[in-house]
Amino acid sequence: MRGISWQGLAVAFGALGLLTSLQTSEDENPHARAPRDVSLVVTEGAWLRAPGADWFAQRAKAEPGRFTHDATAAGGAGGWVDSHGEYSLSEIEGEWAYWQWASAERLTDGRQDFVQFCSSCHGLNGDGYGRSGQHLRPTPRSFQQNKFKFTKVTADLPSDEALLSVIKRGLAGTPMLPWDLSDVQLLDIIQYIKSLSPEESGWRDVYSQVGDAIEVTEDPWTDTKERAIVRGREIYHGAASCHLCHPGYVTNEELRVIRKDPEGTTYRENLTYPALKDSEYEVLGRATKVMPPDFTWHQMRAGTTTADLFQTIASGIKGTAMPQWKGAISDEDLWALAHYVENLIVSYKDQPAARSAFMGGLRVSGDNK
Amino acid sequence: MSMLSTSTPSFAFLRSRWLGCPLALMLTSTWALAQDKRWGPGEPASDYGYRFGELFWLITTLVSVAFALVVVLLIVPMLRDRARPGHRASFDHGKSLHDKRLTAVISIITFIVLDAWVLVIAMKDLREAYWAIPAAKDPQTYKVEVLAQQWAWSFRAAGVDGEFGTPDDILTTNELVVPKDRPVSFNLTSKDVIHSLFLPEMRMKKDLNPGAINLAWFKPVVEGEFSILCAELCGFAHYQMFGKLRVLEQGQFNEWEAEASQLASTAFDADDTEGHWAWDWQE
Repeated sequence: MRGISWQGLAVAFGALGLLTSLQTSEDENPHARAPRDVSLVVTEGAWLRAPGADWFAQRAKAEPGRFTHDATAAGGAGGWVDSHGEYSLSEIEGEWAYWQWASAERLTDGRQDFVQFCSSCHGLNGDGYGRSGQHLRPTPRSFQQNKFKFTKVTADLPSDEALLSVIKRGLAGTPMLPWDLSDVQLLDIIQYIKSLSPEESGWRDVYSQVGDAIEVTEDPWTDTKERAIVRGREIYHGAASCHLCHPGYVTNEELRVIRKDPEGTTYRENLTYPALKDSEYEVLGRATKVMPPDFTWHQMRAGTTTADLFQTIASGIKGTAMPQWKGAISDEDLWALAHYVENLIVSYKDQPAARSAFMGGLRVSGDNK
Repeated sequence: MSMLSTSTPSFAFLRSRWLGCPLALMLTSTWALAQDKRWGPGEPASDYGYRFGELFWLITTLVSVAFALVVVLLIVPMLRDRARPGHRASFDHGKSLHDKRLTAVISIITFIVLDAWVLVIAMKDLREAYWAIPAAKDPQTYKVEVLAQQWAWSFRAAGVDGEFGTPDDILTTNELVVPKDRPVSFNLTSKDVIHSLFLPEMRMKKDLNPGAINLAWFKPVVEGEFSILCAELCGFAHYQMFGKLRVLEQGQFNEWEAEASQLASTAFDADDTEGHWAWDWQE
């Protein structure tokens, strides 16, 4: 083996390893991506509606150096100032509102990833009608209609954090996967999605409200789960009337007792089945219908823990018949509802024998089917 | 055995324990890995699944024997004919007629024993099981239309009325419920790219091609939950394209089917024609 320098070989291997590691660290920088498709470059940045002052107060705690409160801002009403210049408070048409600047550079990054990962279902222009989204029910969201279902926020439009959470968790039982991309990539995609709002609507509308997350308050029933379930059952069939759209999990007689209705009151047909509802969301120019889930049968899209259910019930499902319950009933009752629904899921979902005994019992003993 | 003078190779070493070592190593390691569900295929849950196991072990055994032979044939002459004090390295280019004949005979035997044997058995399995699609008009056959996409499975069963394209069609995403002991027959196609429906416990795998309808079937004989996987690299989220196969005992299944059909009829939106994607059953 004359002629081969072993030391030289070792150095060569070391150099190769070093080069590889340099390459890797560059890959990890999300802004150093594969060569861009020039046809997808976004040439103009966009001002997008940002959440309200409460959201900034939260952010200021996380990044104290960045956000400061200025009492003289917004014509003396006070407001938050972003030293990075991404967010700004300005007056348009007499409305003081926070706006977020998404640069052309950032939108281009977002668009490249959107086209690669999202467009097969959501469409190249975000109209919710990509090739793989065709014939799909529930339909992929169109980003031109500004209706987002499982946001867990109070207002109409979800915050960046809410969208991030939906994309990272996915929507169970649909082809919307839990997306395993970096936060930087996802936030760029989110800015691009928001910029797809048509002029004067959604994130481009001064009158839009971008939501604060529904805070998960303390569960008052942690030690008294049985009582929460009983209370939840009363709220479900009583004050909240969930059984008008979702199945009623009681017999007609039990329902009459819960609602304190007079003897002989009749309720909707097929009480133990859900009822198809209209929604405001359109596909190919036609409003779609939405099936409220039967908790003992259908898959929950946005989580099955009591905290998830609390947030989902509290925020409602935008664009559908499911209203926002936060404020309509007390947090205590919201938690009771969450416990009741969770109990239905845990006890009967995917357990054919237990479920058919339970639902069969309701259908035999009452006159409801 | 004289190592100094032979000019023709001696194969006496094939009788030695040398041969047993690689053979035993290969078979035991394959067997050990096959016991672990993460490595091996596990127990079959369909009626034709046992054929897969038989073929798998036939191929593994044949290949192990061939491997052991080749390893021994390589290593022993290298040791036997190497240069050492009092012995010159001997080597042979295999140019003699004798060597050529030997090579030809070994090749033909290898082909007959390995390839032809496996081919005959595999064709028999394909004809008797995998390609024996059950008749669609047999009421026992449970029919499912599968529409794959990046990155999900959509399943459509005919529901209680047995007709596709009616309000009571049972539609599920990434989840399929089938009856035990009844043949399940598939019509498979894809919206976008090629996918492959892989039911590992059922030993069933079939590609789904856009623009064509492929056929496949299996008959589950074990109750429980099994995997649905995509076995064709179909893009970024291929690894997330999986679902759940539930096999229910007949009575429970009939109840499930009636309830699912009823719920499907409730959810049916007659005006939403774009969402009705059933096709006429293909045989």
